[in-house]
Amino acid sequence: MKAVGARLPRYDGVAHVTGRTQFVDDFRVPNMLWAKALRSPVDHAAIKKLDVKKAAAIKGVHAIVTWEDVPRLVYGHLEALGIPGDEPLLAKDEVRYKGQPIALVAAEDEDTAQLAVAEIQIDFDERPALFDIRKAADPDAPQAHHWGNWYPHFEAEMDVRQIRKGDIDRAFDQADTIVTGVYRPAAIEQLPLETQTALVVPEPSGRLTIYSCTQALYFSMGVVAAHLEWPLNKLKFVGGTVGGGFGGKVDTAAETVSALAALKSGLPVKWRWTREEEFLCSSTRAPWHMEIADAVTKDGWILGRRMLTLHDSGAFARFSPYGVTKHSFHHTGAYTIPNLHFDGYCVFTNRVPTTAMRGFGVTSVSFATELHVSRVAEVLGIDPFELRLKNANRIGDTSPNGIAYADPSTVPTIHAIADAIGHELPADYRTMNREARGGDLLPEHLVAQVGKVDH
Amino acid sequence: MAKHTGRGLAAIEYPTGMNQNGDPSQAWIKIKPDGRVDVFSGTSDIGNGSKTIQSQIVAETLGVPYEWITYDNSNTDSSPLCTGTFASRATFVAGNAVLKAAADAKQKLLEIAGKELEIAPEDLEIVDGEVLAKGSPQKKIGVPDVAAAATWVHGELITGTGAQLNPYAAIVDPETGRVDSPPHAAISYAACAAEVEVDDETGEVRVEHLWQCFDVGRAINPTLVEGQIQGGALMGLGLAVLEECYPYYPSVEHRGSEFGSYFVPGINELPKIDTIILENPSADGPYGAKGISEMANNPQPPAIASAVFDAIGVWVTELPITPERVLRALEQKARGPRRDGKWAIFDEDLSVNTVASKDSRFRFPVGA
Repeated sequence: MKAVGARLPRYDGVAHVTGRTQFVDDFRVPNMLWAKALRSPVDHAAIKKLDVKKAAAIKGVHAIVTWEDVPRLVYGHLEALGIPGDEPLLAKDEVRYKGQPIALVAAEDEDTAQLAVAEIQIDFDERPALFDIRKAADPDAPQAHHWGNWYPHFEAEMDVRQIRKGDIDRAFDQADTIVTGVYRPAAIEQLPLETQTALVVPEPSGRLTIYSCTQALYFSMGVVAAHLEWPLNKLKFVGGTVGGGFGGKVDTAAETVSALAALKSGLPVKWRWTREEEFLCSSTRAPWHMEIADAVTKDGWILGRRMLTLHDSGAFARFSPYGVTKHSFHHTGAYTIPNLHFDGYCVFTNRVPTTAMRGFGVTSVSFATELHVSRVAEVLGIDPFELRLKNANRIGDTSPNGIAYADPSTVPTIHAIADAIGHELPADYRTMNREARGGDLLPEHLVAQVGKVDH
Repeated sequence: MAKHTGRGLAAIEYPTGMNQNGDPSQAWIKIKPDGRVDVFSGTSDIGNGSKTIQSQIVAETLGVPYEWITYDNSNTDSSPLCTGTFASRATFVAGNAVLKAAADAKQKLLEIAGKELEIAPEDLEIVDGEVLAKGSPQKKIGVPDVAAAATWVHGELITGTGAQLNPYAAIVDPETGRVDSPPHAAISYAACAAEVEVDDETGEVRVEHLWQCFDVGRAINPTLVEGQIQGGALMGLGLAVLEECYPYYPSVEHRGSEFGSYFVPGINELPKIDTIILENPSADGPYGAKGISEMANNPQPPAIASAVFDAIGVWVTELPITPERVLRALEQKARGPRRDGKWAIFDEDLSVNTVASKDSRFRFPVGA
């Protein structure tokens, strides 16, 4: 029997639907402590005083971890890709968003840990907070981040992700019509049923076994090892079966602080975020602000696109610069547009840091550019199927950053949908295919777009 | 006051693998003395089905039944590195790693089988758990017997290792964004049509029907691909009409903190979904597969927003398309785009040009 192409049963499906699968919170070990976090109650403030002595004296409390216990306080998840670290594992002298972790208490039960959290003495000096990314570059904007209000460390220390292609001014001069619009998809929750949870067990060998719900075992192990300044052979990550992630569990959210609590107490520590923490303190999909101006001809060719993107990264960078770059690479969508002028900024605010979610960087730009293309079709009075087919990516067309498309399927997927809903197409649109351009489909403005496919 | 029906279209693309690549996955395989197969991969299964898909790839490559595969991704002591389950990479990148590991193990298995059958390994193939001489299938030996012979006669352990790494595509010119090699492992495409019903009195948008076509390269498991596409459709519906962390964005006030105060699609919102799987094989994917898991929630929001326009003649460009936003847009319907020469200008009230200071870095050139 052929395995590939077969509708085989899911490897772990029966265990999942009968409740037998073991997730991190199903694991219990002897002498296990439970953890609760002190989190910032304010959006933006200096920390004037942090005193855990009274909380630590409570019966049943075994360890309280603060910034002082972290060997390497700041480590960027994507330092290997050149994105420097900016976020302390636990807040030191300031907080930049409501919900930011400041301390973790490990105690014999969750109630005791929560009581001790309430006894930690902390004073804040509140600062003005920034929330509207559109106002982040205003002269009187509150400062949300020590780098400034937008990310300044793209290649060559540029503070903007740029795409430039062709001659944008000429395209706008040549256009019969220019259509502009503004698109703003919302922040949403990844909403895994399993909240962020970690269990860390100190082993007699001196190693730590870390039960993790991460989407990336080795990646998260690298994050913990970096903060602890440990080699990988002292850590063992256990996981691989995750109760929903959708991008949010690319953040290594609970493992590192729990590991520090386990080391400080010498006992196993479990930290499981409440549903309320998952909603309010875990990272979200980012809100985006996108402005588009398309230069088009009256017969439906898209000659050029200007675009401004502001990405609401929240209080820290995390994966956001990566997301903005990915976004920029896909801002022409499934179409070939020869003249481009794209500026994307990764903007900081005093909200919970945003992170990856299904479609990271591109869900936003697909929404903006596709709705915009529908508007262009409406303004020009052209069938939206035909306008899309005409400008579709074809084999050999080049992407915004100059790579020839090897196997684009804009044309066949649109044909399939036209057939499915019974949308009739004129014969010349019906017979289009994805092969390299020629004839009427290779107008002068696209001649320079056809490149060599490089596998 | 009436309910209006409309249709909208969207066509999208999405990359497989991390943007700019450089994201390795590794795997190894060992074969037990009875021929059963242990696969060690570091890929977390977040519900995406990667345990199943990678097991199918190994079964296919080795030529043994799926039921013979034990898949272990449980810990970092026994499993090698996988960059992670994100970026639509678990089927393509990690799938290629297990494919290479299986091909490596198969080669070693055929060498042992060749000794047992006294036939050159290149003249052998494996079908349904049996090693057969090509062209003379009566000359054969079961994979369990080969594994036993490896263990007890030849003193060998049959293993295989594999790794996949698409090299990092550096941005060689940050002014233009040009890269030095393809910044993706593959690109997948999809198109979607949405049919909605909009109540112009209450502002409610009901998504009635979604038609979706995805080019998946090759469906390793059609049931799981359909699950990705249909599950993604519901998430896309949530993005389009229901979900928002900040009801008064950009304000952070009044966030929902429980399931009762944050709206996700439920069974009542489930539209009719037609799924069309298109297979344009990727030259480099395992058995031609591409990754489509993330893009499955991308085409619905623009298709639904276009359908809302088709139904009631207004563009709602802020998500989600709540009843409040629909009703406000209907109130302002007469406004349309402002015309300035050849410019058709929409949404000026949302633009940085209106909201930001005139001295701001954030400006967008609009108008003649």
